[in-house]
Amino acid sequence: MNLDEYRTVFAAGSLVLILIAAAPTLSLLVSFPSGSERFSELWVLGSNHVTDDYPFDIVVNTTYRVFVGVGNHMGSSSYYLVYVKFRNQTQSPPNATTSEPSPLPPLYEFRTFVADNGTWEVPLTFRVLEASRTDNFMFVGRLSINDVVFSVNSSARWDSKHNGFYYQLFFELWLYNTASQSFQFHNRFVGIWLNITA
Amino acid sequence: MSILKFSSVLVILLVFASQFFVSATRATVSESEAALALTNAEKSVVSAFQVVSEAEQGGANVSGLLAQLNGAEGFFAEAQMAFRLENFAKAVHSANLCYDISESVKNQADELWLKTVGPRIMGIDFTVYGSLIGMVAVGLGSFWCWHFFKRRYYQKVLRMKPEVGSSES
Repeated sequence: MNLDEYRTVFAAGSLVLILIAAAPTLSLLVSFPSGSERFSELWVLGSNHVTDDYPFDIVVNTTYRVFVGVGNHMGSSSYYLVYVKFRNQTQSPPNATTSEPSPLPPLYEFRTFVADNGTWEVPLTFRVLEASRTDNFMFVGRLSINDVVFSVNSSARWDSKHNGFYYQLFFELWLYNTASQSFQFHNRFVGIWLNITA
Repeated sequence: MSILKFSSVLVILLVFASQFFVSATRATVSESEAALALTNAEKSVVSAFQVVSEAEQGGANVSGLLAQLNGAEGFFAEAQMAFRLENFAKAVHSANLCYDISESVKNQADELWLKTVGPRIMGIDFTVYGSLIGMVAVGLGSFWCWHFFKRRYYQKVLRMKPEVGSSES
């Protein structure tokens, strides 16, 4: 080997040693993605904590109970807002494609902080307080959620295909964004269909 | 005697009437107070969560703080409900409880951040400075080794004796 070849070997060796010495600092600067998907769960369960006992045929002035829950897999603690909304078949639900919430005003809300990989669940009771039928229309005037009374004033036409007057009690999940310092629709929603009979 | 009776009746009537005046005044004042208390409570909860998030990002265990924040949220929900039912005194009371808890959480999160992130920053400093010193040492060491090697190489070359090759034809 001549001197030039030795120089190349020396330079390469020195570079490797310098990189080894710099490795701890480089590891602080370069972050690798965790690989796990970040998401939140939103669920609604019937009164026995199962999915097959949802209230469906609703009688006026009868109290029904469901459970609403949230699971956090966002990689850090999250601040959630769950809106409870009520609509008839013609009113707009949230749009999952465009990630837009329903334009309907919320009746009730829950706010909660959930740790990463943690869950939160709360019971919700509801009661239709005022409903009246006129021919092919059902009018729901007032509804109580967790003993708080709300005016909904919503009409539903008779659904001849499914034989009923259908309404939906649905839940939207919103997530607090620390960057924008506001709640944003998290594109998660669940609901239960109710056949309200006066 | 009749004056005494009249005075007694008047005093009793005034005492009863004063309750209505006081409650009416309190309700009027409390509505704006309640709205302000609710706004302050909400802002406090949000800022507490931001501090807790920073502490969590720094590696602190914030599960206890989150439980306290959920307690504050419970009072906030109570305050909202009371406000809705026009029970402004209760709304202010619950909103203030929410505010107090949130402020306490904020202070605790700040302390936790200092306890957790402080040593980590020192560790990072140690790593960075250690790396820099290591890199400089390796660079200087390599440079010195190269010069040492080069000198030895030249000495070795200079010590070589030329050999005269014979070319027999």
